[in-house]
Amino acid sequence: MKNTAAVITVKDLYKIYRVGETKVRALNGVEFAIRRGEFCSIVGASGSGKSTLLNMLAGLEKPTKGEIVIAGEHMERKNENELVRFRQAHIGFIFQSFNLMDTMNAVENVALPLTFQGMERKKRTKKAEAILDMVGLGSYKNHKPTQMSGGQQQRVGVARALVVEPEIIFADEPTGNLDSRTSREVMELMQRVVREKRQTLIMVTHDNELAGFADRIFHIRDGKIIKIEEQMGRETG
Amino acid sequence: MRFGDLLFMSAASLWKRKVRTILTVLGVVIGTASIVVMVSLGLGLNRSTMATIEENGGLTSIEVREANSYMEGDSTNQEPKRLDDTLVETLKANPHVELVSPVLSISVIAKCGVYENQLEIRGMSGEALEQMGIPLASGEVPVSEDELAFLYGNQVLAGFMNSKTGAGFWSDGTIPEIDFEKDAIFLIYDMDSYYNSQGNSENNGQSVKPPKKYLANYAGLAEGGMDTYKSYSWYVYCNIVPLENHLKRIFKGKLIPGQPSTASGKPYKQFYYNEIYAEVDDMEYVGEVQKWITDMGYQTYSNTEWVDSTKKQYGYIQAVLGGIGAVSLVVAAIGITNTMMMSIYERTKEIGVMKVIGCDMKDIRTLFLMEAGFIGLIGGILGLLFSAFISLLINRVVAGMGMEMGLSYIPAWLAGASVLFAVFVGMTAGFFPALRAMRLSPLAAIRRG
Repeated sequence: MKNTAAVITVKDLYKIYRVGETKVRALNGVEFAIRRGEFCSIVGASGSGKSTLLNMLAGLEKPTKGEIVIAGEHMERKNENELVRFRQAHIGFIFQSFNLMDTMNAVENVALPLTFQGMERKKRTKKAEAILDMVGLGSYKNHKPTQMSGGQQQRVGVARALVVEPEIIFADEPTGNLDSRTSREVMELMQRVVREKRQTLIMVTHDNELAGFADRIFHIRDGKIIKIEEQMGRETG
Repeated sequence: MRFGDLLFMSAASLWKRKVRTILTVLGVVIGTASIVVMVSLGLGLNRSTMATIEENGGLTSIEVREANSYMEGDSTNQEPKRLDDTLVETLKANPHVELVSPVLSISVIAKCGVYENQLEIRGMSGEALEQMGIPLASGEVPVSEDELAFLYGNQVLAGFMNSKTGAGFWSDGTIPEIDFEKDAIFLIYDMDSYYNSQGNSENNGQSVKPPKKYLANYAGLAEGGMDTYKSYSWYVYCNIVPLENHLKRIFKGKLIPGQPSTASGKPYKQFYYNEIYAEVDDMEYVGEVQKWITDMGYQTYSNTEWVDSTKKQYGYIQAVLGGIGAVSLVVAAIGITNTMMMSIYERTKEIGVMKVIGCDMKDIRTLFLMEAGFIGLIGGILGLLFSAFISLLINRVVAGMGMEMGLSYIPAWLAGASVLFAVFVGMTAGFFPALRAMRLSPLAAIRRG
């Protein structure tokens, strides 16, 4: 296929924390490539290094050694300012605890990344409203986060990640604070949206069932990828 | 981020923490108010002193007199440089000198019925008399060069004394009943002869013919009561041209009192002036012009030195008062820093999230700087209003004690500068917290989640 070029390439990635005298190898030589439009899960127990991997992919943490190339750019060579700029243009982020701004309503929250980009108010509001309609919150546009349920809040979170039309979306335990029914709904939403827009989604979770929504599942243990599972019968775009 | 969005976001986060914002602002209000009130007191003092100087002959006028020859040694050796028309012309030629007038002053005896007074007449050019801007109770400034008429100072009346009883304003407070306009006032120019004729009964009995009296024409009367002293209050003014002509006619070639004489005691042909009055276009050049005249060998006097020393003195007072006020603003600044630091600890997560979803580092810094600046701005404006109120109160109190002008004075520049300064202090106080916020790791947000 034409669009199977890797959008993320990770080579020989190490992250070593120093705790007193001992060295903790959070990532111990990780290598993989993710194609455009893929939905990948990273599954592992707590302490396996999956969150560290995600943080490094998103440029929130620097690797000790190794290469991360996203959309043709080396993440490990960027300074913090450049990383912020890069995230602004290419990356959406979905948090476990939603992390919405309490003082802003749904539209303003969704439009926040556009505000950071310097888009004018009218334009960004229009865009944010369209995305809110898409995630099924059309009638909650002026609600503050405190007036919404957890599921609704996470939909706003998803909308916020999608609004800049990023190439890659990172999700860190996106359903960790939701009950199982709402979790499924949010997962289905993410799956649908990513398929429609041909965006790459990388999700970290410890739940094997939720991981099953993905096209590929990376199993990680003790800082190493021990298994990559291809979900057969799924369309990879 | 757009500037409007930055403003809005920082204002919103202040609004979210109202009580803390109000308390922090209160500190700035007190700090600003204390500086403004203190400085306004200094300025008020300065202003009232300047007004006093203005009353005492203005800030731009120079008095030129003959150099004190006896200061330098034997007066017979050296003729002092006299004040004559040549000098008047020289002064007029200076581009910074707007107006020059010779002053011919002469003492005369004035009589009105039983009242008697010794007057100091000052003859000046009509132009100069107008320039002096003496406020008139009635009449007009004697600008006419054809007719000799007199403008009386407001305290001249107080000098008249009842020659029979000795009663007068200074002895028993009664104001003589003289109307300068309607009553006939006679002037005696030859005072020596007058006193000789007065004293003849006690002297050797030789009768001396009393000198001629001349009727004085009325021109005007300066405004003001017996108690309001101004630089012109004690004098009688007239145009110098008719005065000179009049004196020449009276004394007919004899020595006019007050005029210098030749070595043999003969009068000179021309008049020499007692004083020359020069008006400079701007206060800035007074010193320069004064030096120029002094270098020509004359004695000069102006209020410049007084003004300079006053300014210096009140400059110190203002600095000290402002410094006292500044202490409380420093305390307020520490309050702002503290508030901002707390705010950053509280919002670590929020800042982290903003960074993760793409807020520029410098935008984060700007947001926090703006918050601190807002605290300064609001505090500055409220502090200014508060100090305007205090200033009003102070002025009302001192007005009750007889200070009409008021002790506290807030000019526009002070108002503007104090608000700007409050904003500046706020932003300075918020600078390090803002840097700290900018450098916060975005990871903190995720970890705490």
